[in-house]
Amino acid sequence: MILLEVKNLSKNFGGVRALSAVNITQATGETLGMIGPNGSGKTSFVNAVTGHLAPDKGMIYFGGDRITGLRPHQITRAGLTRTYQAVRVLAKLTVSENLATARLLHAERALSDDDIAALLDWLKLDHCLGHRAGGLTLFEQRRLELAMRLLLKPRLIMLDEPVGGLAAGEVREMIELLKELRARCAVFVIEHTMKVIRELADRVVVLIAGEKIADGPPAEILRDRRVIEHYLGAVHA
Amino acid sequence: MKPARLVLSGRAIAVLATLILGAPFLVSSNPFLGFVVGVTLIHVLWSAGMNLLYGYVGLMPLMFAGIAGVGAYGTVRLTMDYGWSFWLAMPVSALCAASIGVVLGLPSLRLKGFYFTLCSLVIQTVLTLVFIYFAQFTNGDTGISQIPPPDLEFFSPNRLVGLPFNLVIAVVALAGVLIVSLIAASPTGQRLIAVREDDLLAETLGIDVVRCKVIAFFLGSLYAAVGGSFYASYLGFISPRSFDVLLSLNIWLMVAFGGRGTILGPVIGAVILVPIPFLLQDYFMLKDVVYGLLIILVMILMPSGIYGEIERRRAGRRAAALDRTRTAARAAAGRRVMP
Repeated sequence: MILLEVKNLSKNFGGVRALSAVNITQATGETLGMIGPNGSGKTSFVNAVTGHLAPDKGMIYFGGDRITGLRPHQITRAGLTRTYQAVRVLAKLTVSENLATARLLHAERALSDDDIAALLDWLKLDHCLGHRAGGLTLFEQRRLELAMRLLLKPRLIMLDEPVGGLAAGEVREMIELLKELRARCAVFVIEHTMKVIRELADRVVVLIAGEKIADGPPAEILRDRRVIEHYLGAVHA
Repeated sequence: MKPARLVLSGRAIAVLATLILGAPFLVSSNPFLGFVVGVTLIHVLWSAGMNLLYGYVGLMPLMFAGIAGVGAYGTVRLTMDYGWSFWLAMPVSALCAASIGVVLGLPSLRLKGFYFTLCSLVIQTVLTLVFIYFAQFTNGDTGISQIPPPDLEFFSPNRLVGLPFNLVIAVVALAGVLIVSLIAASPTGQRLIAVREDDLLAETLGIDVVRCKVIAFFLGSLYAAVGGSFYASYLGFISPRSFDVLLSLNIWLMVAFGGRGTILGPVIGAVILVPIPFLLQDYFMLKDVVYGLLIILVMILMPSGIYGEIERRRAGRRAAALDRTRTAARAAAGRRVMP
């Protein structure tokens, strides 16, 4: 069943073409990866889908409902949420205050305390509930981001470079967390680290200069001549 | 139904109520001090309203005084020209002023930080010019004098003056502070804080940022206008200068001085800063120096304000204690599993 359907999505910034008639679908329970060089339109795509950027053309459907033109909070309420390339938490508030803020969305049918305790245990955040979020390590902040998004009970979570800035050991741990995350909701992930894409994604979309040039299983995409030429060349050399 | 929760503890509310309601009695034998207390309490109300906008949403609305002026002129005109009771005119003009405040706050949906402040300064300037040039309504630069105190239809004397007037203002100020406390403890308060901290993230968390800002502007403007109405009746005179940008800056200073985003901070700020010019009026050279020095010292030594600093230290101690408890628990658990 199709969860996310993006049709002919286009966006220009003045004379710069950020997205050019991009068509993408994602099925329920599928993990979709998106790769491409810097400036290829990956974050613009996520911004447009999550309502942070108004597209010039195109339609976006989520769970069969049209979400084009909705505001970000309405899209979150529909069950689609995201993280940011630069980690974003309520830095001056404590971890528990951050979680309480995320919990507001479903105040009437919030996760039970046991579920939240299990979530915090899984993300290893139970030891720092009273700490200021801005004082946590980057990896802890990334995990806090995940916890906050999961409290929103999403059907799809879009992760923008979830291992950006992490140390090698932390990348490994994050990959394992994201593998388990796939059991909770559909995942869309933008990454430059091929290891993440290879291990997580069921399917990969490649954007170059705002155009989708390839779409398929990771193994196939990584062998694609155009992808190697435009993006992976240096990585694979 | 769950009872409403307040950010303040029962003890804090009791102390606050005793101080606010007791102050008018303490100075009842001295009309001058009584007047200072009355004006201070009106500023307590104003700073609570400014705290909603500056402390909880992170916007610095320099048109706050202008909105207070709209409320004040509205009440004065309705009571003096149309013979309305103050108790009817005040809420009507406060609601009108709050609606105007929402409209004037619309730029905040697009502008943030310094840019919104600059925009609000322009709005305040325009409001001051409106007060000056719409002389039919405001009596221009001359202002309106001999404004009667609030009426009391069924009591004798039938005008609210002296200690009873101070007590009414004290009750309104206390109610204002407690309402902010209720809002701060509510989900709306949590949403406002999230918007203050990071509005983009707040939207991602499903918070309607536009709605939050509109609510904050409506409530903040309501405080401004109610305060303005009482101010006009209390002083008996208003002019465009009564509600110029200096008043907005002073109220903002009280919030920053006492501690933005805390309930008691703005009260402390108003109680310390408002009486200084009155009490040092014989030392006019000294009063501005004392006022300025006090603000500079607090801003340097306690950047989060007096009560903000107290709360920050308390939170630090709580986090440290929590850490110690958890470290001890982990160590105990570790000892149990060690062979």
